[in-house]
Amino acid sequence: MNTTSDSAAPAASEHAVRTDDLWKIYPQDPRPVEAVRGVDLAVAPGEFVVMAGPSGSGKTTVLNLLGGLTRPSRGKVWVEGREISALPDRVLAQVRLSRIGFVFQSYNLLPVLTALENAEFTLLLQGVPAAKRRRRVRRLFDRIGLEGIEDRRPRKLSGGQQQRVAVARAVLGEPALVLADEPTANLDSATADALLDVMEQLNRDNGTTFVFSTHDPRVMERASRLIRLVDGRVAEEIVSGGAG
Amino acid sequence: MIRFPTLAWLALRNLGREMRRSALTAAAMTLGLALLILSRTLADGAHEDWIDSGVRLASGHVSFNAPGYRDSESLDDRLTAGQVEVTLAAAAATVPTSSTGPTITTVRVATRGLASSADGALPALIVGVDPASELAFSELGAEPADGRYLQEGDRLQAFIGAGMAARLGLRTGSRMVLTAQVASGEIAGQLVRVAGTYRTGLDELDEALVHIPLPVARSWLGVEGATSVSMVLPHSTLTDPVLAGARATLEGSGIEVVGWPETARELYSAVRIDDAGDWVFHLILFAIVTLAILNAVFISVLHRKRELGLLRALGLSGAETGLVVFVEGVLLTVASGFVGVALGFALVWVFFRNGLDLTDMMPADITFGGIVFNPVMHPAIELRHLVQSVALTTVIGLSASLYPAWHAARLDPAESVKVE
Repeated sequence: MNTTSDSAAPAASEHAVRTDDLWKIYPQDPRPVEAVRGVDLAVAPGEFVVMAGPSGSGKTTVLNLLGGLTRPSRGKVWVEGREISALPDRVLAQVRLSRIGFVFQSYNLLPVLTALENAEFTLLLQGVPAAKRRRRVRRLFDRIGLEGIEDRRPRKLSGGQQQRVAVARAVLGEPALVLADEPTANLDSATADALLDVMEQLNRDNGTTFVFSTHDPRVMERASRLIRLVDGRVAEEIVSGGAG
Repeated sequence: MIRFPTLAWLALRNLGREMRRSALTAAAMTLGLALLILSRTLADGAHEDWIDSGVRLASGHVSFNAPGYRDSESLDDRLTAGQVEVTLAAAAATVPTSSTGPTITTVRVATRGLASSADGALPALIVGVDPASELAFSELGAEPADGRYLQEGDRLQAFIGAGMAARLGLRTGSRMVLTAQVASGEIAGQLVRVAGTYRTGLDELDEALVHIPLPVARSWLGVEGATSVSMVLPHSTLTDPVLAGARATLEGSGIEVVGWPETARELYSAVRIDDAGDWVFHLILFAIVTLAILNAVFISVLHRKRELGLLRALGLSGAETGLVVFVEGVLLTVASGFVGVALGFALVWVFFRNGLDLTDMMPADITFGGIVFNPVMHPAIELRHLVQSVALTTVIGLSASLYPAWHAARLDPAESVKVE
């Protein structure tokens, strides 16, 4: 079992997220599957990082490890300098709530809540007062073109609108990083571009750190750094002039 | 937990979203509880009916005797006149004041003997009674099969069963002789005239029990006191407190105070066995209801795997995610509880006036435990059993939610959010 080691952690301001020799092995017959094999990553605050690679390269698994949705078989993950790999479930949940935002491929809004309620859900769990929540949601909705849809349930929203609500939910809690797993996969080109514009804008204006997993070239084009994963390993890193 | 209101709010919204499924799940609990309440109240009503009938024909809910009388049934083991006075005072002092129904106390002198006529003789239980209190107590004379019941001032009248009248060739107005061993030990006879006859449906009673006026019995048997003083209470549940009160009052007086479970053991066993049978039936019914609820709640968890995984990703711990599911179960249970109680009372109300008439389903007279089974069942509400029914439903509703909640708490968030 990994142990929390603050001494080994970088300063809180140095990295939004960092990993050290990260492995994820799934026990399976006839032999275990090594989905992630010794990944070392360091993402600075305000970066717009894209992890690319073919299906099965381990992109989603790395994102899940960075977000504490799954625990590494070996290695460590630090979020803002705090090692999260071995935290108890309750504490890890608190880290996800306060420091990590998620955007998933298939929108993943809560169907029983309206667009506004979905967007403010993280703030609600954080205990932000209702008036303040509503004010922040409406301000962000206006910025990302969601005004007027506040009271609609997810099934009454287009795919692009749903994904923008998911982005709003991910960033409203002011996390250290937003992890986006193939966020454009189910969107048409125009909608995908609009969504990426929103995320770029949030990255630029608010300094929100984004880490994507994708094989969408439109997303890769906007990356400040592109990390190529092959067979669970980092095969290549390209620093470009994109966002961030 | 600071986030509990949020989790409860989310659980409520989840229930509202799957209204049909929620309603069907709740309906199982509601119907189960309503039927349980109806079944319990009918059973309680029937049991109370049995007890009331049984104790009125026997020693009442509470009986005061001289020690040893219940075993010997001998005039030697009788209460003296002074003890009868003390007993009546104690009985009057322990009469429950909060109850709406009447409490009836009667004094009896009873002995075993022989009833004979020109046609033959039968063993008899001869009881000297006060006609007014006995009429209200045993209700034997309320609807005579023939003639009339004993009255104040009667001297040599007797009220006998129709079975005895038939066996001894007696009619109203006929003369018969009662023979018994009197207090002095001698055998003495008493000539009486039949004032009327009764029919209970219990052959052993109809052919044996004879009521004669108390003064006649005392004079004939040479007894000043009584063999027993008996109380019929408004409800059998008052037995224990009255017993306790009377025992405390009469402590050291040499008077034995016993309740109907001891004086009517057969009846008590019959009630207990029937009660146990009812509970077994109810538990089987509720085991089925539990599985139905468990199935519905569990399937709803499986259908919402992605949502539950999302909650984990958004910052809920496994326990909190399980709590959402559990609260859904709690809300369903509470709502079902209220509706179930209301529906149960509505069903009870339907049967309150006319009862559930099973006459067509059974032959003439079914007797057991010293009583005749009344084919018309009237419900009776016993708070204790009502609370038990609601508690049982609550426990079942909550336990049926536990496994789905546990399952939700243990979902792998990374796997769950991938589910389409």
